[in-house]
Amino acid sequence: MEGATGNSTTPRAVPPLLADVEVSNLPGFDVTPTPSPRHQDAATPTTPSARPQPSPKKASRPGGLPMDRVTRRSEVVLPSLESPFQAPGYRTMQPVSISLPASPTGFGAPAIPAGLGGGAGGDPDGLRRQAMANAAARGEPQPSPPAAQDKHGGSVRFAHQPDKVVFRSQPIPGGQPAPPGSARAGRAGSRVMSRDKRYDSFKTFSGKLERQLTHLARAPEVHDDEEDGEDDAITTSRSTSMPKVDRFFAALEGPELDQLKSSEELVLPSDKKWPFLLRFPVSAFGMSLGVSSQAILWKTIATSAPTTFLHVGTKVNLVLWCISVALMCAITAVYALKVAFFFEAVRREYYHPIRVNFFFAPWIACLFLAIGVPPSVATELPRWLWYALMAPVLVLELKIYGQWMSGGQRRLSKVANPSNHLSVVGNFVGALLGASMGLREGPVFFFSVGLAHYSVLFVTLYQRLPTNETLPKELHPVFFLFVAAPSVASMAWARITGEFGYGSRVAYFIAMFLYASLAVRINFFRGFRFSLAWWAYTFPMTGAAIASIRYSTEVDNTFTKALCVALSAVAVLTVTALFATTLVHAFVLRNLFPNDISIAITERKMKPIIELHESQGEDGSTKSNDIEAGSAQ
Amino acid sequence: MAAGDEAAAAASTVAVSLNNNDKPRRHHPAASGKEENRHRPWAMLTRFHAGYFRISLALSGQALLWRTLTSDDNSSTATELRPLPLVRSLPSAAFLLLWSLALLALLALAALYAARCLLRFHAVRAEFRHHVAMNYLFAPWISCLLLLQSAPFLRPDAPPYHLLWWAFSLPILALDVKIYGQWFTRGRRFLSMVANPASHITVIGNLVTARAAAKMGWHEGAVAIFAVGAAHYLVLFVTLYQRFLGSDSLPAMLRPVFFLFFAAPSMASLAWDAISSSFDTCCKMLFFLSLFLFASLVSRPALFKRAMRRFSVAWWAYSFPLSVLALASAEYAQEVRQAAANGLMLVLAVLSVAVTLALMLFTALRTADLLPHDDPFDHGCPQLPT
Repeated sequence: MEGATGNSTTPRAVPPLLADVEVSNLPGFDVTPTPSPRHQDAATPTTPSARPQPSPKKASRPGGLPMDRVTRRSEVVLPSLESPFQAPGYRTMQPVSISLPASPTGFGAPAIPAGLGGGAGGDPDGLRRQAMANAAARGEPQPSPPAAQDKHGGSVRFAHQPDKVVFRSQPIPGGQPAPPGSARAGRAGSRVMSRDKRYDSFKTFSGKLERQLTHLARAPEVHDDEEDGEDDAITTSRSTSMPKVDRFFAALEGPELDQLKSSEELVLPSDKKWPFLLRFPVSAFGMSLGVSSQAILWKTIATSAPTTFLHVGTKVNLVLWCISVALMCAITAVYALKVAFFFEAVRREYYHPIRVNFFFAPWIACLFLAIGVPPSVATELPRWLWYALMAPVLVLELKIYGQWMSGGQRRLSKVANPSNHLSVVGNFVGALLGASMGLREGPVFFFSVGLAHYSVLFVTLYQRLPTNETLPKELHPVFFLFVAAPSVASMAWARITGEFGYGSRVAYFIAMFLYASLAVRINFFRGFRFSLAWWAYTFPMTGAAIASIRYSTEVDNTFTKALCVALSAVAVLTVTALFATTLVHAFVLRNLFPNDISIAITERKMKPIIELHESQGEDGSTKSNDIEAGSAQ
Repeated sequence: MAAGDEAAAAASTVAVSLNNNDKPRRHHPAASGKEENRHRPWAMLTRFHAGYFRISLALSGQALLWRTLTSDDNSSTATELRPLPLVRSLPSAAFLLLWSLALLALLALAALYAARCLLRFHAVRAEFRHHVAMNYLFAPWISCLLLLQSAPFLRPDAPPYHLLWWAFSLPILALDVKIYGQWFTRGRRFLSMVANPASHITVIGNLVTARAAAKMGWHEGAVAIFAVGAAHYLVLFVTLYQRFLGSDSLPAMLRPVFFLFFAAPSMASLAWDAISSSFDTCCKMLFFLSLFLFASLVSRPALFKRAMRRFSVAWWAYSFPLSVLALASAEYAQEVRQAAANGLMLVLAVLSVAVTLALMLFTALRTADLLPHDDPFDHGCPQLPT
């Protein structure tokens, strides 16, 4: 998709990380070759499709393997069309290691390098190689490798293999220089203007939807029919599978489980920028949470007795509220597009142990918007709104808490992490809104469910069980979520009972203690990569500030006033700083939406591959040849 | 009563079938004793275990439900229900029938278990050590207390009531001390390893005792016992939700026991209702929690699929929690007096009655299945490592 434009033009633009054995500078490997339909046609019917394990990929491409660089993969063995789907198919390029066949004799099964397809249509060389590989797979006599090798200046790889395995160093990038209007990932293999099929496994219905739209959008290609047929055949033979929860823990690390371990690989190319929708995580809703909680804060400051001395008008609330509504609409629209076009990616996010909690974020943000609605917009909200907002929360809760209790591998002792607070705080926010709307039973219902599950989560997180793999060893902003639940619970209970009684005070003091306990360790919050999810961690601070204001309306003295002003100031400053950081990342560094690797892990860990750190260049290629030759025997 | 006869007939049928049974017992290491078992009329005692008290628990819970729904003493629930054709058709005679059936079932099971204690004491001892079976030792006493509370001829302030309450509560308290103490002191039996959904029965035992005490008028004792039950419920709830590795010790056939997850908070809500004489916010919160857990379990039918393949006594575990939930919803509806609450109560009550009737039908039709060869407890008990 965004196609390889940068890389494709420079031959050998292999970043140092990609120390491929391949190290080739072959334009065919590193550069998007000009598509040659002739070759593609030849290769088309025989190319097996690769599949990134977990999602049903759309068969696509003749050669269209979703993976792109994959070539290396050691064991990636791509089955031919008729063979049943094998999960560990491919991997796309590996950023750090060089892949070699898993075993010296591991070429028994012809490994069709995944990358073949590459979006591209265009690599005649690659396609030819693939054709060779296919032929090899079928046990046909192979054309002389060297011939093929010479083809493009050396597909270094496969010259020496007596076996049929073909290695490919680089993905055939999807963005062909040539393909007119091919900007999107399309049915790859086929032709120049095909879409980049590497991402099809993440698309809704494996990209069929997009194909339909493609067909509607432009005149169907000649090759479409045959490809459709193949694709359907392949798709039906594939089964949908998702990485198990253990895979997420095995492959990812970091407090937000978003960093790939060095021994792992991705199913999507890691050197290309993925389609924007694929890079848009559900944790983007955290932005909405952060801004809408600020709107509530300013509303509270403007309308509460202890803070009247600040003389803050209600305009700030109005402006912030309008901004947060606009932001919420924008994020919802983009994510709705993602659901429509990349449903598999959304499913993977749902199975991610941390990201699943962010599925509560849109509803919590809507609840915040309802709580913070400026008096000039609406003073009385309709009751059905509360039911409409809480219904999805209830359904999600039934699913997720049920999983904690009885859902196979997702046991709480293993997956508990501070982000789970997002699952629990929704209950309290809903109770707060319902109580302020005058409802009686519903808020108590959600409060009790939230309280029961919060106590379980609280105990589990405090225990820091050894079996718990998700707790960050170091302090991370995610820990601020600890403060969210008690502060919102205290406000909700105050609303339910009509007064800031003992229950609310106990909850409030717990929140203050946790806040203080994190604040004194502020030095340790260092060295983390910024991510959009950080916005979600600001709303607890805002919530604590609002709870303090509520408390100081009850207990009015200088200390409490100073406390609420201080906490509000901290919250506002944090959000401002975060806003500035976001702007910097968005416009200056341009990496606000990096490749979302946590959803692209492989379903099954590939067998260990021999890591070679070849130096790039001719020597490297020679060496690699030798190694391959050596291992081939 | 017909039901009592039926129970006795069932027992004798099973005994006969056992005697005539030539099939070797599968997987049972104690099959060595099978030969002699075949010839002994009390062969079934080896396979009769404390889990069978689920039947008496279920029937007593039903009796209490019917008593509460149709009671006359200033229960406006009854007044609201009376116009409904469903309730009007439940004359007190039907309730008497049910109560007697429950009593007879309890007596029959108790007699069988007493015989088992006498003749197969090693099995009873092994049962006491099994992490699932030990909880069912509370079940007879809970059934007794439930029958006491729903007794048609005994008022709560009568001396016999007090006497019987003491008689039934002391064993529960003794078992409490033993089992809860084990949870945090005894070497191999840490709660994190032995916790399973059946452990809720220990908590329910305390709560039933507390409710009976509150009805009896002994307020302080009720609060004390409630506190013990609530504290251990909190610990158990957290532990079960955490699901430590290695703590999935409930066999698939016993999955119906998961229904106890929502039986405990319902019972707690009822107990607190009796203690505080009104269905206040705390009771409501407990009731809502149990509603949520009920919804959560009911929306996961796959969890129970394996257990539903064949009828077994574990199926009786469905009935008691539903009865308790219906009871709590009846108290809630009485307090809140909204149409939705009444509707909920009706739905839950009908569900509970239907489930119990279905279970009775299944028991009558498939009596042989009640003592199957591969009952999961059965495997555990006799050869349980001591």
